[in-house]
Amino acid sequence: MKNFLLIFLGKLILKLSRLFNLGSGSTWPGHIAISINPNFTTDVLRKSKSKIIIIAGTNGKTTTSLLIQTILEGAGYKTLHNKSGANLENGIASTLLEGISLGGRLPFDFLLFESDENTLPNLLEQINPDYLVLLNLFRDQLDRYGELDSIAKKWKKGIYGLLEKSTLILNADDPQISFFSEDTRAKTYFFGIKSPLSGSSIAHGADSIFCPKCSSKLTFSQVFYSHLGIWSCTGCGLKRKTPQLSASSHYPLEGLHNKYNVNAASLLAKVLRIPQSSLNKSLTRFEPAFGRQEKLIVDNKSVQIYLSKNPTSLNETLSILNTHKATDVLIILNDRVPDGLDVSWIWDVNFENHLSKNTVISVSGDRLWDMSLRLKYAGFKKIISFPNLDDAIKNSLENTRPGNTLFILPNYSAMLETRKILTGKKIL
Amino acid sequence: MKHKITIGWLYPEFMNIYGDRGNILVLQKRCTWRGLKAEVKLLELGFSEKELYNCDILMMGGAQDLQQKIVSDDLLPKRKALSSIIEAGVPGLYVCGAYQFLGNYYKDADGKIIEGLKIFDLHTVNPGEKSKRLIGNLTTRISMSIDSPLTTLVGFENHGGRTYLGKKVKSLAKVLNGHGNNGEDLTEGAFYKNSIGTYMHGPILPKNPHLADYLIKCALQMKDRSAILPLLDDTVELNAHKAIAKRMGIEI
Repeated sequence: MKNFLLIFLGKLILKLSRLFNLGSGSTWPGHIAISINPNFTTDVLRKSKSKIIIIAGTNGKTTTSLLIQTILEGAGYKTLHNKSGANLENGIASTLLEGISLGGRLPFDFLLFESDENTLPNLLEQINPDYLVLLNLFRDQLDRYGELDSIAKKWKKGIYGLLEKSTLILNADDPQISFFSEDTRAKTYFFGIKSPLSGSSIAHGADSIFCPKCSSKLTFSQVFYSHLGIWSCTGCGLKRKTPQLSASSHYPLEGLHNKYNVNAASLLAKVLRIPQSSLNKSLTRFEPAFGRQEKLIVDNKSVQIYLSKNPTSLNETLSILNTHKATDVLIILNDRVPDGLDVSWIWDVNFENHLSKNTVISVSGDRLWDMSLRLKYAGFKKIISFPNLDDAIKNSLENTRPGNTLFILPNYSAMLETRKILTGKKIL
Repeated sequence: MKHKITIGWLYPEFMNIYGDRGNILVLQKRCTWRGLKAEVKLLELGFSEKELYNCDILMMGGAQDLQQKIVSDDLLPKRKALSSIIEAGVPGLYVCGAYQFLGNYYKDADGKIIEGLKIFDLHTVNPGEKSKRLIGNLTTRISMSIDSPLTTLVGFENHGGRTYLGKKVKSLAKVLNGHGNNGEDLTEGAFYKNSIGTYMHGPILPKNPHLADYLIKCALQMKDRSAILPLLDDTVELNAHKAIAKRMGIEI
């Protein structure tokens, strides 16, 4: 009875907040539901027959979730997914409120939850997922998440508690992620990538270069990027498992990091026995999530937004910009709660190795001077700093010549702001 | 200027969690922009202590707990060499975990004492998980004279340990807004001979060019007492410095 009222109330709030355009109301109905009944999520899921898929990792969870959703729906399944980066507990509860019937039923084949790194351990206490997709662990927002080792420890505990009916889809190339297969009752599958261009040396800023089991130094015969590659331990002999899948039929997005996302989704599709033809079709018609290589046309100019939120994701974005020989670049750095308050990570990004040093780079955001300073010390000669984001976007658009693309590299809250300015709509 | 400055970077692979590479870049660039030669020497695990004697400036950053343990096993046997060059006045910058490690000891959350290098007269106590980590932007006023009209330092701190200074070291700065060494006595960092220990990262040197120049000047004057450092255009550096100070209610 209590939950019936909660569902009714939650749905009402969702409707009202949409009606008055209060940022689509994606998290606070869930927040209210949890504060009235802390077991709301568990209660609802206990009665549901839908299969649950959880996707976690520092980078790529939104894209991978959307890929999985596209593949499942392409195969004729009904899915519910916590959209708009609502990946904390209240966002997940809100998603349930949105999908549930007043009678408490969830008419979906699959529930897809992307989970924030800190939320995953709590979520695993409440929910035993049928499928858990783990992408990677990189350093990100040290002020909020703490050190990588301590997150990995918490994840390991959660994964240890999984039941036999669960299936783990793991990145073979990330030593920490791969190591989760050692201590679990769940079935495990591995994905990886293939890349002919990889070297064998670890670049600055790589994270997991020590054995997750014995702490000895790892050696890499191939490094794809950061600490992802073909690794083995010099101490205890732990080594990368051979992936069941390391190539997909089609990659709808650029960059090695997106190869991982696509391969993770493809491996899950295989495990779910989705026909290859259906999978191919879904990958071909896939459209990126907001701000993730999203293409827009604004004032007849082509714009592409690359969410770049930590050293690994910004490094990957810069190497894509290199292949495009980008000439028009706008970097926006904020330091709000969803971004992390600490921006020191920009000094771990290898700007030195990317882009011609004569590229005109515009800079804006709360921390525009920190970013301008970083670029100055990286040797860039044409840096334009804009304290006001509207000015930055307007000026960058004006200076982009017809036929060129303006590449915008924002971190999280900066991406939301940028999209709002470019499209006139709020997402969250 | 024909001098060459050798910047010794202690454990770049292990102690690099908070963008501390930025400190190295800043030292290096600010030397070369002035026509000084600057060489960065990477002092990795197992380095020979003789190499310390060839360094004109030292820098060591912070790390995760596990990495820090590996590094302390490597550095403890080289204590004498490091101590002798610090005593001789070779300038250095030791951030967060490195700063704590140069002290007398670190008492962890379980009360266990971890021996330090005993070069800085200070100790650190980790009050355990019940006490909050000290996290956030930090603005301070420099305690010593570094020959610059700018007397504030800005940075970001993120530490669980509380550091208490002994009698033989001075504090680097007084906290204007933020936590500093322990969140109690308004001190931040330590200053001993020409060495600096600090909780400020961000990293510290890019937004505090006067502190970077102080380290370079100390290094240079150990080679040539009459050497002076020409001024550089620090507009962007100062904008970044002022933006944080202003946000924390401190007008420069």
